[in-house]
Amino acid sequence: MQSNFEKLIGTPAEWLVNGEQSGDIVLSSRVRLARNLEGKKFTHSSTSKNLKEIRDAVKDAVLDTDYLKKALPIDMDDISESERMVLAERRLISQEMVMHYKDRSLVASEDEQLGVMINEEDHMRLYAIGAGLMLEDVGRILSSLDDQVSGRLNYAFSPRFGYLTACPTNVGTGMRVSSLLHLPGLVHNNDIRKVVDGMRHVRLSVRGTYGEGSEVIGNFFQISNSITLGLSEEETIRNMEGQIGKVVEFEKRARDKLIKEARTLLEDKVSRSLGILRSARLIDSKEAMKLLSDVRMGVGMGLISEVKMNVLNELLITIQPMHLQMTNLEVLDPEQRDIARADHLRSVLK
Amino acid sequence: MLCQICKKREATIHFTNVVGSDVQKIHLCKYCAEEKGFDYLKKSNIEKSDLLSGLIDSSLGKGTGSKKQDSCGNCGMKYSAFKKNGVLGCSQCYDIFRKHLHPLLRSIHGNTRHTGKVPPRYIREVSGKRKVISLREELEKVIEEENYERAAEIRDEIKALEEGKEAGRDAE
Repeated sequence: MQSNFEKLIGTPAEWLVNGEQSGDIVLSSRVRLARNLEGKKFTHSSTSKNLKEIRDAVKDAVLDTDYLKKALPIDMDDISESERMVLAERRLISQEMVMHYKDRSLVASEDEQLGVMINEEDHMRLYAIGAGLMLEDVGRILSSLDDQVSGRLNYAFSPRFGYLTACPTNVGTGMRVSSLLHLPGLVHNNDIRKVVDGMRHVRLSVRGTYGEGSEVIGNFFQISNSITLGLSEEETIRNMEGQIGKVVEFEKRARDKLIKEARTLLEDKVSRSLGILRSARLIDSKEAMKLLSDVRMGVGMGLISEVKMNVLNELLITIQPMHLQMTNLEVLDPEQRDIARADHLRSVLK
Repeated sequence: MLCQICKKREATIHFTNVVGSDVQKIHLCKYCAEEKGFDYLKKSNIEKSDLLSGLIDSSLGKGTGSKKQDSCGNCGMKYSAFKKNGVLGCSQCYDIFRKHLHPLLRSIHGNTRHTGKVPPRYIREVSGKRKVISLREELEKVIEEENYERAAEIRDEIKALEEGKEAGRDAE
């Protein structure tokens, strides 16, 4: 019988493959809520016994909601480190949970649109992801899941400080709203610096694709709110949508300018990139991401029509080391992995 | 269990590789896993606590360095430990360390008051409090405008709300 882990990774994530139209510049919209149980110590100061009780209570409650009735619960102590790394590569769990897995769990819907990390930094991290720019919809669904859970469990809450979280950077709404953006045009014309500074000015943070502290690869940027206290959830989301809308506008303008001034050069670049991806025998992940970024832009601008956006989106996940390792019996070293990556790219893009 | 590559160090990273019906378990130590390039997800990010502890120090300011070591009676968390790790021990820490947290929250969020969603159990209490806060703001404004008639009305409203709250509390 298939395990819950196999079921989960056997189905492509909805937000990746559904992004054919909307998922061009904005790949995804993600909202998460940090919640803790009333009267229980926060995760890092709880005993293993308490964490197990919390885990059971949270699992019962979330699996009882309309949204997660059919979701797949996975205890992190039941799966191997490599399997946890696969979940992290798919953004279903945090990197933190790869390392700290004892008494931790994930409950996620099979299409990967809704999930709950249990006993991460907070007892609960509820999240929802959608394709393209749809933070309001994603936020609304997550909020109703949260309502259903709050009818079953008592949250740690203070009228003054809001939802109480282990780290004061999350206190208040406990909400982190983020979008993954593909901005090759702005990187090309060097305006990206201005955009990043502008975002910081309105207290949004800009990072690489893996969140905290990660580097930018393939022109993918993650924009998220940094304030959780003093703004309502609706204000936070509206503000983000507005700012991201502006960035999308800037990126579109940058692309338009590019195509007006150097159409042939651009066509040449994106076609060559696709050519390399289709014929390379050895490719590291940085180069692959860079080339996929070119091809993605080409598809987004209508310069390439033979490859679909959702195919490229899925590749962003499946060319990662642990996804490549997963289908091999021997441990691949970096060079063997570069071969496996090239094989995978050729077979998908042929 | 020993690492199957160096056969010397303790294996801390365990892979399960599945191809069709074949399953292979692999056990590596930290060093050999790094050699194979599997450490990328485990590389520590810029520690959040480093960033936060900088903020904590700067927001404490001068002259607030109280001599007594505050610690939480519920979970035993010391404030010095929070400064180091950036995480509190339990929800009561927010009450115990309230004085320390106010300036910190202000520097992180530019605010110290939650204005967002409220769990069902708290809706009555919080909506009353929020009403009083907004009335107080309005009161200040109308006094500035020397609209004393409206000011008196607002004062009565605030009084009624606060008394209502008391009554509500007595009834519980």
